[in-house]
Amino acid sequence: MSPLPALVLVPALGGAIAWLVDRPRFVGARKITDASWRVTLMALVLETLILVLATFRRPAHPGPWLDHFTAPWIPSMGISIRLDMDGLSLSLLWLTIILSFPCVLLATRQIRVNAGAFHFLLLATITGIIGTFLATDLFLFFFFWELMLVPMFVLISAWGHEGRHRAAIKFFLFTQGSGLLMLLSILGLVVAHFHETGVLTFDYFTLAATRLSPSLSMVLMLGFFIAFAVKLPVVPVHVWLPDAHTQAPTAGSVLLAGILLKTGGYGMIRFNIMLFPEAAERFAPIAMALGVAGILYGAWMSCAQNDVKRLIAYSSISHLGFVLLGIFSGSRTGMQGAIIQMIAHGLSTGALFLIAGSIQDRLHTRDMHQIGGLWTSMPRLSGAGLFFAVASLGMPGLGNFAGEFLVLIATWHVSPAAAVLTTAGLVLAAIYSLRMVNRIFLAPERADQQPVTDFPARHMIILGSIMIFLVVLGLYPQPFMTFSTPSPLSITAEPDKVESPP
Amino acid sequence: MIAHDLFVPSPLLVLSSGTMLMLVSIAWRRSITLSLSIGLLTLLLALAGTDHHLTTGQHGVATLFIQDRWADYTTALILLSSICILGLSWRNLLHDTAHPTDEYPLLLLLGTLGATSMVFSANYIPFFLGLEILGISLIGLVAARHHHLTASSEASMKYLILSGISSAILLFGIGLAYAATGSLYFSPPVATDGISHGIPIAAATMILVGIFFKLSAVPFHMWIPDVMEGASTPVAAFIAVVSKIAIFSSLVRYFSAGEMQPFLNDTMTAVIILTILGGNLLALRQTSLTRLMACSSIAHVGYLLMAFLSPGQLQSGAIVVYLAAYTASTLGVFSVISALAANGDTDGTSIADWKGLFFSHPFLAVIMSLMLLSLAGIPPGIGFFAKFEIAAASVERQRDLLLAALVIGSVIGLYYYLNVIRTMMTPDIVQIVTYNRKNYPELTGLALVLTIIVIVGGLFPARLIRPILPAPVTIIPRSANTIAPDIDTAMRYAIHDISP
Repeated sequence: MSPLPALVLVPALGGAIAWLVDRPRFVGARKITDASWRVTLMALVLETLILVLATFRRPAHPGPWLDHFTAPWIPSMGISIRLDMDGLSLSLLWLTIILSFPCVLLATRQIRVNAGAFHFLLLATITGIIGTFLATDLFLFFFFWELMLVPMFVLISAWGHEGRHRAAIKFFLFTQGSGLLMLLSILGLVVAHFHETGVLTFDYFTLAATRLSPSLSMVLMLGFFIAFAVKLPVVPVHVWLPDAHTQAPTAGSVLLAGILLKTGGYGMIRFNIMLFPEAAERFAPIAMALGVAGILYGAWMSCAQNDVKRLIAYSSISHLGFVLLGIFSGSRTGMQGAIIQMIAHGLSTGALFLIAGSIQDRLHTRDMHQIGGLWTSMPRLSGAGLFFAVASLGMPGLGNFAGEFLVLIATWHVSPAAAVLTTAGLVLAAIYSLRMVNRIFLAPERADQQPVTDFPARHMIILGSIMIFLVVLGLYPQPFMTFSTPSPLSITAEPDKVESPP
Repeated sequence: MIAHDLFVPSPLLVLSSGTMLMLVSIAWRRSITLSLSIGLLTLLLALAGTDHHLTTGQHGVATLFIQDRWADYTTALILLSSICILGLSWRNLLHDTAHPTDEYPLLLLLGTLGATSMVFSANYIPFFLGLEILGISLIGLVAARHHHLTASSEASMKYLILSGISSAILLFGIGLAYAATGSLYFSPPVATDGISHGIPIAAATMILVGIFFKLSAVPFHMWIPDVMEGASTPVAAFIAVVSKIAIFSSLVRYFSAGEMQPFLNDTMTAVIILTILGGNLLALRQTSLTRLMACSSIAHVGYLLMAFLSPGQLQSGAIVVYLAAYTASTLGVFSVISALAANGDTDGTSIADWKGLFFSHPFLAVIMSLMLLSLAGIPPGIGFFAKFEIAAASVERQRDLLLAALVIGSVIGLYYYLNVIRTMMTPDIVQIVTYNRKNYPELTGLALVLTIIVIVGGLFPARLIRPILPAPVTIIPRSANTIAPDIDTAMRYAIHDISP
């Protein structure tokens, strides 16, 4: 029995239960809000156990893929429920779980209004994300891809901050519109395969073997690329991101920055590079230019922000430019760097959003001019903030540095000019990160500072564990590199071997 | 042959007898409960009889009616929708004791009869009769609204005049087609030797214009928002669902004979792009939910026509699923509107009235959101799969322009659907309790049933398609068989008539 369907279903069911538990008595106070929170936590623990099982299970099938699951869904259209897991999916699944815990432990307990619905939506988003990381039937992938948008939209739109409605609708329209282009690409690929072989199928491995003319494969690749570029985000289509991140509730920001954006990177690796290797290679110069532009633009914009969450959001654009650069650098090193960068960025930015959210909960503002000198009043929070800010600027020894360094090496081999420009982005990163740290944590305390409470010790334990992950990732990335890359690269090489019947 | 025509589509028979029975009962004693019960019973009986073929159709013989899986499927959809609409209006009619309105269920039944007759017809005459029965019942239904008599009369007059004009154009087209071919068979006229090529083209164009008018495709769409806004909520649902299914079903049958002529193809493409973009753009600025649904139904007709214009392996599945998705989601939206509508002055159709619904009626708000998302084509609603199928069918035929329109239209559509959801999520700070929002348990139940259909259909569409999927696939060759000899005979007659 493969644990993969359980991985997808557990959060969805847990969310439904969390909602029902909260449902009948919404008049009550703390006790009842806790009920749905507890259910959510239990669902996550169960999910973790299943993931541990999936990780350490002896692979039941030959080939590089760790696990498979297939069930018929819509046979007349050649659609099946097909889930497959390799090292890349597994590492991103772990990232999802690792970030969900701080989300739930630190940020969602404060939700008082409709806590059940909030937890349901949170878990529904996680369901969509996990499904996206596992699905290898293109229809199923698209289904999950769209599915994760709705709960996220509601999370932003109902529990967000002052400009939430506009931000939520912008987020939805951008991601959905680009998703439709991906749908057309999927259908184009399926129909091309159908015309070639007469078999209607949405199976990833079968479709990977489709012979396409260079122009058609370029068009189809672009359809996928635009959808993933909006999610990642890549510069001209990043418009939704600063608003959505800023306006989302804390847990939503963490999910968005930490995991949701990674689906874009994951999709680029899994679909752009694997399905259309030649087209991706031809497109690489443009993609790399976009990546460099993103790094510089994001960093530059980040320097000019006064809103803490907006600053972190723009810095995300900059960091994810490295992911784009690494993915399209065409080398194994670049790919590994991109994956390490995705994981490290998820951890560090997720944690930064948690800290920014905590500051907002305490001071009711995100304006850096109105926050100052938190170090004396909140040493623990400030220390954690300093750590993650430094991590995200790429301090050697932490995960982000490992990722960025690998990407830079790979880029240097392809285009030294791009690598030099990218380094300028790193300098800007130092400027905006240190500016934020100076303003918020290190500056002299403000006179009108309200009394605030610091992070309790148990919060520090959670943040501390994220720090440990980042340090391990930075000091000894080798096991992650070998673990998370090789299997995706070998699929296209030996589709038949992978295709072995489950 | 006469026996065949009389008895073949059993729903027609049941519906006609039910109508007469209701007339008798009304003449005997006016009782709204009795009339509603007779109406419901008739519809249920007709639904039960949908699958039964009393006699087998004779091939090669020109018949008035044809009964195949496509007709059965659309009839079932029409009857189910009519049952829903009867359920939606039930409580309102019972409450309105001041005006005994037996005419309402009678007209509803007649309208359903007209729609069903259109679906089954294989000849211009029953098609036109059905269309007119439906249209004339609609005039009465739209006007049957005592609290808003001015608005509803205005809407009814608009419908009367515009529908009259379109019927006239359609009838002219039918006349030309008969002149060109000498046959009343329900298929595009083919030019014969004796007459100029212009006449069949003119005939087909005029018939198409008439159909587009009733279908509210874009250059001919102006009436639908006004009429639906003037009508009561259940009647608006009837216009949006039943009459559109009937006319679309006839359109598919009309062109099922073979390849469409190239000029019609181009015209259709232009009309579809206009319909999708026009409907969606019109819906953007609406403040009334009924008007918004009217405009979005224009856009949905555009999507349906896209599938209609993309013949191929995926076409039948796309049409079947999309019709079901559109019907279920639209009825769901209207049932939530009815469930929330007060029996007082306001009927809750203004979008501003929906503010804060997530806090006052969370259950209905969730259902409403699911329905709207399904209409927008977002999982897990069935609308997602339906839109996917439409896109698949169009990609298969490489209709690039139409696909671009689909993408743009969907994004615009998403915006206004989300806008409604956003309004429902905005907390209503000033609680406007000027009217009493009464909760109807049976309407909530109906909405729940539709929700289950929408979600189960969205998650397991395979089960939904399989029994009905071959419908248009089998019907196209089958009706081609029946038509081909008929055209031959018709041509012989025509030649015979022209050259005595």
